[in-house]
Amino acid sequence: MKNPYYPIETLVEDVIVETPTIKTFVLVPSRPIKFKAGQFMQLTVPGCGEAPFTPSSDPAITEKMEISILRTGKVTDALHALKPGAEVGLRGPFGKGYPMEKMEGKEVLVVGGGVGLAPLRSLIYQLLADTKKYKRISIKLGARSPEELCFKRQHDAWSRAASNVDFTVTIDVPAPNWDGHVGLVTTLLDGLDIDLENSIAVSCGPEIMLKFVTLKLLEVGFKPPQIYLSMNRKMACGMGKCGRCNVGHYYLCVDGPDMCYDKIKHVPNVFG
Amino acid sequence: MHFIDSTNFERFLKKISSGGELFVPVREAETGKLHLERIELFPLPDNLCIDGYRTVEPLKAFAQLLRYPVAGYPSTEGDDMADEKTFPQVVVAGARGCDLAALALVDKVQVEGEFTDPFYKIRRDKMIVVGADCSECGESCFCNLHGAKPWPEKGCDLAVSKIQGGYLVEALGERGEKLVKENKELFADARDAQIKMRDETRAKVVKDLEGKNKAYPKMDALAEAMRATLSDEIWEDIAARCVECGACTNICPTCYCFLLYDQKTDGSHFQRIFAWDSCQVTGYARMAGMLNPRPRLSDRVKHRLYHKYDYLPLSHGAVYCTGCGRCIDTCSASIDMREALRRIKEKAGSAKKA
Repeated sequence: MKNPYYPIETLVEDVIVETPTIKTFVLVPSRPIKFKAGQFMQLTVPGCGEAPFTPSSDPAITEKMEISILRTGKVTDALHALKPGAEVGLRGPFGKGYPMEKMEGKEVLVVGGGVGLAPLRSLIYQLLADTKKYKRISIKLGARSPEELCFKRQHDAWSRAASNVDFTVTIDVPAPNWDGHVGLVTTLLDGLDIDLENSIAVSCGPEIMLKFVTLKLLEVGFKPPQIYLSMNRKMACGMGKCGRCNVGHYYLCVDGPDMCYDKIKHVPNVFG
Repeated sequence: MHFIDSTNFERFLKKISSGGELFVPVREAETGKLHLERIELFPLPDNLCIDGYRTVEPLKAFAQLLRYPVAGYPSTEGDDMADEKTFPQVVVAGARGCDLAALALVDKVQVEGEFTDPFYKIRRDKMIVVGADCSECGESCFCNLHGAKPWPEKGCDLAVSKIQGGYLVEALGERGEKLVKENKELFADARDAQIKMRDETRAKVVKDLEGKNKAYPKMDALAEAMRATLSDEIWEDIAARCVECGACTNICPTCYCFLLYDQKTDGSHFQRIFAWDSCQVTGYARMAGMLNPRPRLSDRVKHRLYHKYDYLPLSHGAVYCTGCGRCIDTCSASIDMREALRRIKEKAGSAKKA
């Protein structure tokens, strides 16, 4: 029998500074870990504790895993202090992952904000690996400022990936040296030219952003079953037991973390 | 149906617990309440109480321990589980119907489904449970409102009913049958008069339960009642007295939520600890960055009741309350679950009419 609480020994091979508050950790687990885009891992900082993160790397690669992390609490503070060569631990993957089968043949709208781009990058890798499978891939990303935009080094490649891929970035408020779009990520959804009947939207970001993205998508004409939200709550066990991540009768750790809005729309305080 | 006299019952318990641990209910003279006591030396204590009503401690505590290490890391064994032999065989005697039903509910979470908690499963497999009839009804008991009976119907290896001179014993499963067979010299066949004696006590307790709970409604259709009062101020009112101590969730035989935390054992070794937790305390669902999906106490009180009566029926197919009444006994603010649910039902009923 295997012990599901044991963190698999993992080496921090590299640390990439993405923004002043976000770092990407390149991890080499002691045995390959297969995951689906959107599934999450429990990452252990020895002695400090464990926290849930969705990998930001290509799911096709199992020997290495990248996880992009915003510094925001006890475990992430400890993570940000780590240097290449450090030992950490991994458990997982947990959760369902993105509904890839539902995206085939559709217009896929990916909306991300802030560190919410991290799990979406793993989805983007998978979508862009076979762009012909989808009618169109629209990626809309937002951040507070140009400095806080993640994965800038890849934006060019993404925007030129294929003729059916469109890629737009916005920042919340005007900034020097920024001649791109300005406004909240929801403004990128204004006047959306999309085949509504034949679309699916996936969003990840702070809960307040998810709320307004959802409202906007509904206003544009999306139906609740077409909207998938990365609902991230405190997940401890990852196995649908410890009870901390309940949203209604769902356990985000096994039923999510990406939840169809139709399933959770009636839950009190669904957006925290 | 078998009969075993008190002397042989003691021999029987001694035999089936040899090499392991034995817990029996004893009655505390001062309070009259029953507690589970570990028996390391025989004879059994004079205040042994296989009748009365449920113990103060919930049965879940033997399968899901209050606090225990689940992983030491790094370890050369990696994620291979420890040998089952390191887990003790535990005999718990005198478990009541409410606790047996509750343990079966915790089993659903910890053993069934996609993931199994191996620690829970091993302990559970090595647990011999001897159920027992209630011969009294506690002030807070309300199993009858859930349509349950104050005696073991399933969920134990053996069910015993205290009668004059000893106990009636019924095997409720293969392992129980085997235990009786292996010790058949200790048992006699039950006589009709003895079964009649048991049935009289049972009828008396049922009547007592009904009398004590006549002011409260049946615990059915609660999910509908709660949904109908979702944003009603009655929830604020119910939560108003709560002091957020978390005693109700700890003492509840069906509450299974827990936390995991890590600590250092020496400079380079660490331990992961599993410990009970309570959804009633502020920090329970709080995330990094201080985001809290249930910031108000009333959100949390509401969440607990929704979880038991609406969410778990949807996710695990059962209401997670068996009417043991421990939460009523333990509440520092005298919140009575029966009264809270009566009010919610009443409110839902009047909302429907209006």
